[in-house]
Amino acid sequence: MPDVISQNMPFLLQGLVTTLRIAALTAIGGTLLGLAVGVAVQLRLPFVAGLLRVYIEFVRGTPLLVMLFICYFALPALMGLHVTAEQATVLGFVLFIAAYIAEDVRSGLRSIGSGLVRAALATGLTRLQSLRLIIVPLALRRIIPALFNQYVRLLKFTSVASVIGVQEFTGSAMLVNARVFAPVSILIFVALTYLVLCLLLSSVGRVLHAYLAA
Amino acid sequence: MRHARRLLAALTASFLAWSGVAAAQAPQNTLATIKQRGKIIAGVKFDTPPFGFLDENNQPTGFDLDLVHKIADRLGVGVEFVKVTSPTRIPLLVSGNVDLVAASMTRTPEREKTIDFSITYYTGGQSLLVPADSKITGIKDLDGKEVAVQQGTTLEKNIAAVAPSAKVIAFKDYNSAWLALAQGRVDALTGSLNILQGFQKNNPKFKIVGEMFSVEPFGIGFRKGDTELRDAVDAALKDLWTSGAYSSLYRKYFGTDPAVPIETRP
Amino acid sequence: MWLPGQGRSRFGFTVNYQFDWEPILESRALILEGLATTILLSLCALALASIIGVIVGTLASSRHKGARLGAAAIVELTRNIPLLIHMYIWYVGLAFLRLPPFLCGVLGLSVYSGAYVAEIVRAGIASVPDGQNKAALATGLTRLQALLLVVYPQALRIVAPSLGNVFSQLIKDSSLASAIAVMELTYQASAIEGQTFRTFEIYITICALYLLLVSAVTLALRLLAGPRDDAPAQELASA
Repeated sequence: MPDVISQNMPFLLQGLVTTLRIAALTAIGGTLLGLAVGVAVQLRLPFVAGLLRVYIEFVRGTPLLVMLFICYFALPALMGLHVTAEQATVLGFVLFIAAYIAEDVRSGLRSIGSGLVRAALATGLTRLQSLRLIIVPLALRRIIPALFNQYVRLLKFTSVASVIGVQEFTGSAMLVNARVFAPVSILIFVALTYLVLCLLLSSVGRVLHAYLAA
Repeated sequence: MRHARRLLAALTASFLAWSGVAAAQAPQNTLATIKQRGKIIAGVKFDTPPFGFLDENNQPTGFDLDLVHKIADRLGVGVEFVKVTSPTRIPLLVSGNVDLVAASMTRTPEREKTIDFSITYYTGGQSLLVPADSKITGIKDLDGKEVAVQQGTTLEKNIAAVAPSAKVIAFKDYNSAWLALAQGRVDALTGSLNILQGFQKNNPKFKIVGEMFSVEPFGIGFRKGDTELRDAVDAALKDLWTSGAYSSLYRKYFGTDPAVPIETRP
Repeated sequence: MWLPGQGRSRFGFTVNYQFDWEPILESRALILEGLATTILLSLCALALASIIGVIVGTLASSRHKGARLGAAAIVELTRNIPLLIHMYIWYVGLAFLRLPPFLCGVLGLSVYSGAYVAEIVRAGIASVPDGQNKAALATGLTRLQALLLVVYPQALRIVAPSLGNVFSQLIKDSSLASAIAVMELTYQASAIEGQTFRTFEIYITICALYLLLVSAVTLALRLLAGPRDDAPAQELASA
């Protein structure tokens, strides 16, 4: 391993931990929010569904970087809270990915035939119960590949947080590079790390999907 | 329909933005918040030696940071540093992400419309950094040359004014601007003299040329109307001067004694 | 006349900040320049990404196992590296080539998107019934002619909506080029914000502009292709 990498390894590893932390928080928050939004929209809840559709369209037409800028500069003022760059990043990422996951959830729900829904209701379950116990779990299982797709995408776009100064993996690497000038070694190391992590995550998704489909 | 929804989305966002802006600039007593919290949240640079940069162990250090440490000591609180860059330092201050900004920021009348400044704690001048073998000797040699500068700085406007036929490329932070020079993408880098010296210190393949062509008085930035905090910081700064702590800090980072004492408010 | 930014805000604070669109209007030249650069950047990247994607996607559909594996490896390699790293590679990593930032942006965007286009092309080719290819060969066309004249047109018709999605995504991804000093829309927004401090106004403005661009592309595509059930294509696009 090149000297430059090993000398700065602690700093780079710190950055990697930050990346993984942001990714994990976003995956959890984004999935929960996306699930809620997707169900609300697909069920056509009055008033809420319309607002949420506006939210989805807004986010899907906005670049991620611009979302981050808005979350870091505009929203702290709205909430009257002090937020760190990392907190703003997680917020922006969650809002961003939830819009995409919501659409995946919707297509998952759509794929469940009305026959199954009628059967569930016929056994005496209420609408909410059949949703909670049968429809949503089934839909979730179906969209596992799509969800993991989003998670891999998320892992990659954590790098964008470096542009607003978060010291995650990419940010830390570029800070080191500015000091030591070894762009080739550093970028190869960074690229390979993301490659390995993304491939790992995709494999986990495939295994999970196969296991659940069995 | 989808498109109408998108436009509606944009309008909703604007409306939310109005109320957000209103909440941001309501007068507040940051000093009380700081005392309660027990620490100052200070916006500083991590890529602008010697004011704020990373040392060999990748730890943040610098003149601005040490100054804030000393001020915090006098106020009896701790410090948390938040990384800012020239384009982001004022927006982050205004939105409440940081309590104050000590980020090699020049005081200008234009900026004073949006934020308040402390007394001047450093005075520098703008200069040029070029490769050691460059033929450029000053701003008059910049015709048609490419000059790197930081976005959101007074330096950007100054260089455009004194060298109108130069091609000025603004970067989002000093790291990128410095890299551009180091990789030969631009012919010169312009910045405050001490900052350029900071870059040159470990890189003898570059030299500083020309006379300083602007005066840059640095001040610590506060939200407009945040007078308690500003007065407390001003008092601490004056105290640092009279006790000699400021001079030793200055010597540590700039190698000489300060030429002018800390300016008192005009 | 009630003006936004004056009087009491909805939070009950007394407002002492003037919401000010004037600097944005003054900077409209910069904004338009940024918009033009974004459009140009996206178009160039789309063209190059399509070429890359068609080549790699065709390789991935080859009869030769080696070609298929090679193509799959290229796609996995480029797809799993973040776009920002792609841009840095061309701009910082290969700095000795002195490629101008715009070109680095185009290259980064096209190589990254090219991998996605390759997958779309591969799926498109696979969805053309094998009988078409066999029939074409039976009429005496060479393998290459069969590909160009029979398979591609049909595959293209199937995957056209997905390509439209790639274009929309490209437009949004182009904002990352601001990190390597390409003077597109997001870069100009940062520049304007840095001088005027009008964060809200400028970011909402460029949000609206991006939304407009993406809507325009989607609308144009719908007009060109006609309404259709593009669910399978959508799935491909988000793969």
